[in-house]
Amino acid sequence: MKRIGVFLCWCGSNIGGVVDVPKTAEYVRTLPGVAFVQENKYTCSEPGQAAMIQAIKEHKIDAVVVASCSPRMHLPTFQKAVETAGLNPYLIEMANLREHCAWVHAAEPERATQKAMELVRKAVAKVAKLEPLYESYIPVTKRALVIGGGIAGIQAALDIADAGHQVVIVEKEATIGGRMAQLDKTFPTLDCGA
Amino acid sequence: MVAAAQHPNITLFTYSEVDSVGGYIGNFDVTIKKRAKYVDYSKCTGCGMCETKCPTKKVTSEFDEGMGQRTAIYKPFAQSVPNKPVIDNKSCKKLIDGKCGVCAKVCPAGAINYEDQDELVTEKFGAIVMATGFDLIKWGDYYPEYGGGTIPDVIDGLQFERLVNAGGPTGGKIKRPSDGETPQTVVFIKCVGSRDTLKAKSYCSRACCMYTAKHAHQVREKIKGSDVYVFYMDVRTPGKLYDEFYMRTREQDGAKYIRGQVSKIYQDGSKLIVRSEDTLVGKSVEVEADMVVVETAMVPRPDSVQVAQTVGFSYDKDGWFTEAHPKLRPVETNTGGVFLAGCCQGPKDVPDTVSQASAAAVKVVGMFSKDQMATNPQIAAVNEATCVGCLLCKPICPYKAIEAKEIQERVHGETVTRTVASVNSGLCQGCGACTAECRSGSINLKGFTNLQLLAEVDAACL
Repeated sequence: MKRIGVFLCWCGSNIGGVVDVPKTAEYVRTLPGVAFVQENKYTCSEPGQAAMIQAIKEHKIDAVVVASCSPRMHLPTFQKAVETAGLNPYLIEMANLREHCAWVHAAEPERATQKAMELVRKAVAKVAKLEPLYESYIPVTKRALVIGGGIAGIQAALDIADAGHQVVIVEKEATIGGRMAQLDKTFPTLDCGA
Repeated sequence: MVAAAQHPNITLFTYSEVDSVGGYIGNFDVTIKKRAKYVDYSKCTGCGMCETKCPTKKVTSEFDEGMGQRTAIYKPFAQSVPNKPVIDNKSCKKLIDGKCGVCAKVCPAGAINYEDQDELVTEKFGAIVMATGFDLIKWGDYYPEYGGGTIPDVIDGLQFERLVNAGGPTGGKIKRPSDGETPQTVVFIKCVGSRDTLKAKSYCSRACCMYTAKHAHQVREKIKGSDVYVFYMDVRTPGKLYDEFYMRTREQDGAKYIRGQVSKIYQDGSKLIVRSEDTLVGKSVEVEADMVVVETAMVPRPDSVQVAQTVGFSYDKDGWFTEAHPKLRPVETNTGGVFLAGCCQGPKDVPDTVSQASAAAVKVVGMFSKDQMATNPQIAAVNEATCVGCLLCKPICPYKAIEAKEIQERVHGETVTRTVASVNSGLCQGCGACTAECRSGSINLKGFTNLQLLAEVDAACL
């Protein structure tokens, strides 16, 4: 059985102002597989991450639940942190106590706390079943295709070409320039479009 | 434009379209259709003799938005890049019924080739930048009360640009299309087709407030003693030096801004009657105009959805290309290696377009800074032992990542061949659509397997 570490984030008052984080922590300690629970004001901050890394090493944690914000926001942050601590970066699960709980249930703190417990319980159950995953590597063809030869396509092509890479611009019309070439003067400086 | 054409690292494929896109991030195989130009660019010097002599002179010019005419062999405009013509096979007499051939006779370089054919070329690319731009809404279809496009002197903003452009059909003189007279009273109407949830598009087209101010300024500058009216809902000028520009148009140029939505435009003799309300005064107003310019909503190119499906990324209800995240990943799509620049993502003005294009370029250059790239391992995996090869997963995959694969097995001492699904790890973006579709539960998303998700469900239902 995995030794699961759960890191509960206050996100300042974003989560902590609604969810009773200490009470949630107390409950999480009773869940099967949970070997360690820690609360943090800001888990994503440098001291927050340092505390997480230290705890993983000290308590021999081998899978992590971070109960904080949306994984869209900070999953890569925490993946890096657990990797630094020596774990596979895919042995982590996030419980979204901010967007999915504190923010939407701000008017009902008690029920929000209940939901927070359930969200963490769910994440703990999943992380227990997670397996390490490994990235593979694919080669990169260093040649870019720009579809459309208006001002956007021309600018992107010039910047990529200036960095030393080959670029092909595909343009439907018989000339590049697009809409910009049709314009007379352009605001606010009234210089020419072509 | 010229800088792009002269850059040693840039190749231009004009008069060309993307036919199909295969492969995946870092390794796209793109087939490009080079349409027949009927002119050999390796011989053509761009002298323009063919255009001068072409007998078909009355083709409506697309570049001039119908405000001018062109020949059948033509350059869209005098400063075209490349500065060489193409033959429009829909209007060229030689190509339609074989009776002409003047351009081939007069061409001193022998560059005309009536036998030219469309050509398909396939090339390999690591990244794709979408920069397909916008169109203006066909306002006539939505606003019959403005004449529905039948009143010749009611024109749109791009047509006005061609009228006022020194390189345009009137040499930069503002003349109204019906009789070529210089209009003394010009009315501009903003938000035609935009911010109109009932009739047209709900979004703000973003650049029109500013270019309307520019148009108003240009009329006042070019036509002495002219009257300019601008009908508006709001004036939105966030941007460096933008509000100053707008205030100058009002205060120094003397453009008259009237807050109100125009309810009707109709022809009365040589005049156009514009009826509206003035919501700040609470009265109805009527302006006798010589020309009306409707400043219309930007809309995606008519083929934007088809292009998005060809390249393989998502688009929104209006047909604009969707960025991966509205704030944090504004120039990436959800498909790895495909980036967005300019108005194909949504209406924007020139400074924003240029900024976004440079940002997209940086993303591409960042990708190219490494020889190989790591792929996300959270992708679909097929259990070949249980997959029955029904391939229901194949059409459901939005990234074209699933293919059929033949495998050989030994069953009771005999070798049998059967079909199973196979996931291309470069194309799969880990969306999980296939796992929901699979009847036998043979496809799992790594990191989100059925077992792992059911453990979550069990815990949630405790």
